[in-house]
Parts: sequence; structure tokens; C-alpha cells
Amino acid sequence: MSISNKLLVACLAALQLLAQETALDPGSSVKIDLPADSPLALVSTSMGESRATARGGAIVLDLHMALTLRNSGFRRVRGVVLLITAQEFAPGGKGSVARPCIDVPASQEFTIPIDLRLVRPVQQAGGPLVRVQLDGVLFEDLSFFGANRLNSQRALTFWETEAQRDRAYFKKVLQARGEKGLRDEMLLSMTKQAERPQLDVAMSRNGRTTGAAVPVGEHVAQFAFLKMPKSPVQPLEGWAEIAGNEARAPQIEVINQSGKPVRYVEIGWIVKDKEGHEYLAGSVPGSSTAMLIPAGQRGRLLPDTALKFSRTGKPVEIAGMTGFVSQVEFADGKVWVPSRDELNSSPLLRVLSPSQEEQRLADIYSKKGAAALVAELNRY
Amino acid sequence: MKHHPSEAELALLAGGDCGRVSQFFLNRHVRRCEVCIDTVADFVGLREEMLRQEILSDDHFAGDWDRLAAEMRANIHLGLEAGECVRQPVLAPTANPFWNPRMAAAFASLVLLVGAGFALRAPHAPLPAAVQTVNLPVLESTGSGLELRAGANSFALLNHHGGVARQTVSAQGDIRASYIEAGAVTIHNVYLE
Repeated sequence: MSISNKLLVACLAALQLLAQETALDPGSSVKIDLPADSPLALVSTSMGESRATARGGAIVLDLHMALTLRNSGFRRVRGVVLLITAQEFAPGGKGSVARPCIDVPASQEFTIPIDLRLVRPVQQAGGPLVRVQLDGVLFEDLSFFGANRLNSQRALTFWETEAQRDRAYFKKVLQARGEKGLRDEMLLSMTKQAERPQLDVAMSRNGRTTGAAVPVGEHVAQFAFLKMPKSPVQPLEGWAEIAGNEARAPQIEVINQSGKPVRYVEIGWIVKDKEGHEYLAGSVPGSSTAMLIPAGQRGRLLPDTALKFSRTGKPVEIAGMTGFVSQVEFADGKVWVPSRDELNSSPLLRVLSPSQEEQRLADIYSKKGAAALVAELNRY
Repeated sequence: MKHHPSEAELALLAGGDCGRVSQFFLNRHVRRCEVCIDTVADFVGLREEMLRQEILSDDHFAGDWDRLAAEMRANIHLGLEAGECVRQPVLAPTANPFWNPRMAAAFASLVLLVGAGFALRAPHAPLPAAVQTVNLPVLESTGSGLELRAGANSFALLNHHGGVARQTVSAQGDIRASYIEAGAVTIHNVYLE
């Protein structure tokens, strides 16, 4: 072998060593915190195929973890939210993993999967890369335990209220039309889920997702509203700045028509593209901390985000917007969600996603059959 | 010598300025060649005439030889420098002991590999063109999950086993993805703060 060839081989070997990933212990990269008085106890942690590697100037954590928890209280658990934090003192890096629509009796165990990927510079590293904390537990009587940093109480209560609504509806179908009627409803639900168009969204805070310049062709577009007569809150007017496939700073004015103060309102947001296709773009919620709308008074929802919509990689130009009240939370913690009749009242609402519980029930039907679905409904 | 010598060679022979070997062969030819002997005779006569007119005498050029030599050297150097200015770089096929094409190729490959290695060392997710111009945190729903990026940091909750999730967006600053597995619903939320 000539000198040049030897040199080349040596350099290639050095390069390979340089680029090699440095394995870290994924177990030490995660800290799981449950409060001392938690109604859930940590039984075991499975790290699966988790990997933590140092590559160049960054740490990459691929976490595929499963937490097995036990209901150590005496009430049945209906939902759990785990707070996942990374880079606690840097912007962002906060998420949650929730398991709603469950029915866990005392002493029973259940498992929650956590799959995440974290990339951060090495110099920020110090201590665990990820913290897992219990943010909230909802019980069958809708009482709540937890730090509630993510407003988990409201989210779990909404999910459970929707689940109760949909279980009651399918039980009613079963009683009125038998197993065949229930089967027809499940097939209809699965078709609806399959046909529901879905958008990809990029979101940023305080402005637009692209550069600082005002996009050419930006204009203010008004919301049209779909009124639900039984809703305690009605939308009055609303608009957003639109430029192509980007919508910025939506603002909606609402009036509380109920007799109780309202502390949270969420408006479902449907966009129509230039070809006339309609999509559920998302929701416009009221501020969770500052907003309190007394009975009979008006309030404004003012999120300061910019959303950019696309589908299969292509921008979805926004030609029209429609809003409807999808959730209301009263000051006393009680919530309102549209009834099944209200959701079926307008063809526009066909773009809505079925509730988590309806999806779960349809999944049971598709995998285990009608008998298993009937048994599941009869558990509640 | 089968051919006639050149006039320059005959002129040198006439002035006694050629080498001994050349002088031997030239004399041998000239003795047998009437043409050349006449040419040499002409050069000898011309030389004698110039000497008579002191054109070629040492006295005539006394003190000017050095000046002429200096002028010639200057002209030669000037010509060389001017030539350098207009000369195109030409890879001379000279045998340089420090030049080895294989070594050069090896080092070029090494530089390329090291550069590529450093470029690939720092993991980075390709930002969409829409957000490359701004270093603000951006939250995005993708086929693999929900990802929040802020500079070199990124945080993503992944769909379990690549399952298709249903995503909803809140203009408050979070994206939610839900999927169903083994009869249970899991909901991921990533927040933009």
C-alpha cells in the first residue's frame, strides 16, 4: 500500500470515529415526578427502544417510553394528563400526553406510551433532558386532582362530557334500533372519519410565519357564523388577516346569553379554499386567564398567532371562514358542548372530527365486532 | 561533412571564433569546397576592412562593453518580466519531487470528507421554506407528529408507531393529535410559548 493510500485509510478511520454517535443512558435523561399525594402510583417504566445520543454539538433523545400507573385512590379514573417538559427555561419545549375516555377502577393498572424526540445543544444540557409530571387526573364524578398547569381539568372535563354524550347517544340507538342500528351508526362514523379532510398547519406566535414583510395581497376577512340556538354563548362578529394560505390574529366578539359567568369559549374554525372544499382548520379559544364574561355581557377572543395551512405539501388558499361555538366553560367549572342534534343540524359540520370517544367506540367495533361494542357501552 | 556549412559557421571560422573540433571539420570542408572557401575569404576581407576602420577594434568599444552588457541584461530581465505578465499558466510536465498526483487526490478527498463529516455532525431538521427566514419558535403538524422548533432546539411528540393521528389546532398556540391504539385514546398536545 502506498503512503498516500495509507494516509487516506487513516483519515477515513479518524473521520468515522468523529462522526460516531456517543450513546447516553436514556434512563438518566428522563425524570418522572409524581406528587406525594398522587392518586396514581408509578408501577414501572419501560424504555423500549429509547436512545439518547450526542452527535456533534447536539443531544438527540429518541424516547419510546411506556409508564405503567396504578390507580391508588378509591375513585374510578376517567382521564389523565402528563406534562412533558424539556428546556424548561427556554422558549417552547412543552407538551402533554393525555389518556382520556378511560375507566380505571381502584387498584387497577394502565399504561401510557410516551414517544418523543428532543434535539438540543450540548451546552444547554445539565440534569435530565425531559421531565414527566402529573398535570391532572379526572375522576368519574368529574372531580379533579393535579397541578393543572396545562388547564388539564378543562380539557379532561370536555372530553369526558363529550364521551358521556356520545355513549348516551349510541345506547339510545341500541335501544331504539337494536344491534343493526348500532352497526349502521358505526359504519357511518367510520366513513365520516375516513372522508374528513385534514390540513397540515404551521403556527407561530406574534405575527406571521414568513418573514417580517407584509405579504402581498393581505386583506381582512370576516367570519360567517353558524348559530347553535342552545349555545350559552353566541358569536357576534369576527375577522382575521388573510394572505394566501396564512391567517393571522383572528378576533371574534361573543355575547354570553346564559345566566352564569363564562370563563372560556372556543369557536370552531372552518376554512374554505378557492375550489370550495371545506376543512376544520382549528379553533379560536378565549384567553384562559384573563377572560371572564359576565352573564349578558360581551367578550373578545384575541389569539395572537399566525396559522399557515397546507395539504399534502401544497398551500391551501383561504377563500372563506366560518365559525361556530364548540365549547363553553362556566365560571363554576361546568361545561357545555353541542348536542348530537346540533352537530347534525348543518351539513357544514360534516368536516368536524368525531369525538375521541366515538372514534374509540368505532375502533372497538371495527376490531372486535358489534358484541364487544355493546359490552363496552353496557360498562357505563 | 556532406552539406555546406552555414554562413554563421563560416563567419566564426573566418574570425577564429569557433571551437577546435568545429574548426577541424570546417577547415576540412572548406579546403575541398571552392564555394565555401570564397565565402570564408569574403568574411576575412570584411573583417580586415572593419578593423581598418576601427569598427571592431577594442579601442572603439573601450568602456562601452560594460554598458552594452548591462543594457542587454536589463532588456533580458524586462523581457522575462513582461513575459510573466502575459504568460498563461502552463503546467509544465516537469518531474517535481514534491508533487505526487496520488497524494493530491488523497488530500482533496480528505478535505471533502472532513467537510462533509462536519456538515453532517450537527443534526438538524430541515426547516420548511416558510419559516426559514424567521428564528421564532414554530409549531408544526407533520406526518410523524407534532414538532416545535426554536433555533437549534426541537421538541416533537411522535405518533405512536407511526400511526395516523387526527390533528386539531388551537389558535391559542397549541396543536393536538389524537390516535387510537388497542382500544385506548392517546392525545398529544404541543404548546407554542
